Amino acid sequence: MSAAWSLLGRQTWLYSRFELQRLLLTPRGWFALAAFSTIWYLLLRYPIYQASVQLQEPEIQQMLSSMLGMVGMYNLMNWSLPELSVYWALTVLLMPLAVLFSAADQTCSDRSRGTLRFLTLRSSRDSIFFGRFIGQMLVQALLLGLSLLATLALAVWRIGELPIAAVNAALVIWLNLLIVLMPFTALMALCSALVKSSRLAISLAIVSMGGVAGLLGYLVWHFPDLRSVLGYLPGAQLPMLLGAQGWDTLKHSGLPLLQTLVLLTAGRFVMQEKAI
Amino acid sequence: MSYLIEARHLTKSFGQQQVLQDLTFSLPAGEPIALIGPNGAGKTTLFSLLCGFLPPSSGELTVLGHKPGSSALFGRVSALPQDAMLDPNFSLLTQLSFFGQLQGMSKTAALAESHRVLSLVDLAASAEQKATALSHGMRKRVAIAQALMGSPELVMLDEPTAGLDPVNALQVRQLIADLSGEASFIISSHNIFELERLCGTVLYLEHGRLVQQSAVRSASTQGYLTLTLEAGSYPDLLPTLRSLPGVIAVSDRQKYEYVLQFDAELAPDFDLTVLMALRQHGWRYRQLTKGQTLEQQLFAVTAKQA
Repeated sequence: MSAAWSLLGRQTWLYSRFELQRLLLTPRGWFALAAFSTIWYLLLRYPIYQASVQLQEPEIQQMLSSMLGMVGMYNLMNWSLPELSVYWALTVLLMPLAVLFSAADQTCSDRSRGTLRFLTLRSSRDSIFFGRFIGQMLVQALLLGLSLLATLALAVWRIGELPIAAVNAALVIWLNLLIVLMPFTALMALCSALVKSSRLAISLAIVSMGGVAGLLGYLVWHFPDLRSVLGYLPGAQLPMLLGAQGWDTLKHSGLPLLQTLVLLTAGRFVMQEKAI
Repeated sequence: MSYLIEARHLTKSFGQQQVLQDLTFSLPAGEPIALIGPNGAGKTTLFSLLCGFLPPSSGELTVLGHKPGSSALFGRVSALPQDAMLDPNFSLLTQLSFFGQLQGMSKTAALAESHRVLSLVDLAASAEQKATALSHGMRKRVAIAQALMGSPELVMLDEPTAGLDPVNALQVRQLIADLSGEASFIISSHNIFELERLCGTVLYLEHGRLVQQSAVRSASTQGYLTLTLEAGSYPDLLPTLRSLPGVIAVSDRQKYEYVLQFDAELAPDFDLTVLMALRQHGWRYRQLTKGQTLEQQLFAVTAKQA
């Protein structure tokens, strides 16, 4: 039994590492890195830098604090650097959408091309499925880490020093973002296992999320007592997360972790049962 | 006795369509096994079941005593799946060595093994290329190379020479013949002459049913000669052949090719008798083969069943 687990662990790690290799050592990965760098240059240069400068003005700070306080997000202003406040607000809202695209091709192309056939003769479907998912999370961890470092570098350039509190805050943001992105990556693992192209996987993810939200909205309209079920949708914790601050943000991690578990269980079932 | 493959009442359906129907057979390790059948007979589906790509609808199937796809078969069973391609983003060497690592090799050993199998299929010079830069035939050879990584006990090849030029097809056949002492091969092909040369056992599938399982050089081929003549005019050939001592029947299935059935006990030197008759009439022959060809053997049986 332990030999089987050891084999699963070893093969899963090989698949995860191969995803990093795909990002760092292939032209397709370099292209993705170049696109990522360009987008982040534009985000840092314009919205983040400009907003951080504006946020130094006490009047603007006061106005924003009262506006955000009205929607329960007063703490958004309390990150140790204004750059991190803008980074946090931008990424927590934009990255889940970006992940629907970047993590769409976990297994689908390999299935349509027949490459999965070469792989399943040597490794379990579990190791492929979980290895690719973990690989995607590693890629996101690396890219988010790089973008956070760039944000900190921007702050250092503006104020001439790097407060320890800012490093701590960056770590909290990095960890939170990974947890936020986990269910979306798991959703794409499931969709990728169901269809044969990344385009279809993206469409399926958007339609299924919209469909579930629409269905629940309809049910809540007719049965208002069911309102609480809306809080279980992927991303439902994001408004609360934006209202929290520091390590307190991690208290909202339960829901995304649970959603990840459910989606991965469903994805594993599909991967096991589906013809290759 | 432990078998290479055992199937019991195996069926596979896609929706309402039953592609494989109640297959029961056992295959021992040893000489290569041929899987033959017309298009749509279910050969590729049976291959997919054996590799664990598809689950059976009902029945039992074991490969080397394990369920197909089981982790106990990793590295022991390999295959050339039909139309499967490598990832176009990585070089052949990167992918093959990754496969080797999945099979439990160290990085160095996997690289060395990748070079070895690429050399076997004459693609050592293309190791750093990507699959998209290769011709169809070269891709097929890479797919064969990956099936030879490590020391598999069973190698299943689906149409291994389809799309290859004659020189490479010959090379692949030679490779299979050379390696057949180290591993058991199952080969699916439409090229009946290729299977005849390589295989010892034949599974003939038709409409999803197992029509025949037999040895290629079985006793049923005794008492037959296949005569191929050079192109030309042969008046009275059939009456002459039919009048030879010991002849039971003569049939002409193809132009210039005749199958002579004879009584092997009454005429033990029947081949000499035929050669003498040819010489006497000045008829030039191209080939005289003992037994029937696999094609004649198979289609005679299926024709009788029909």
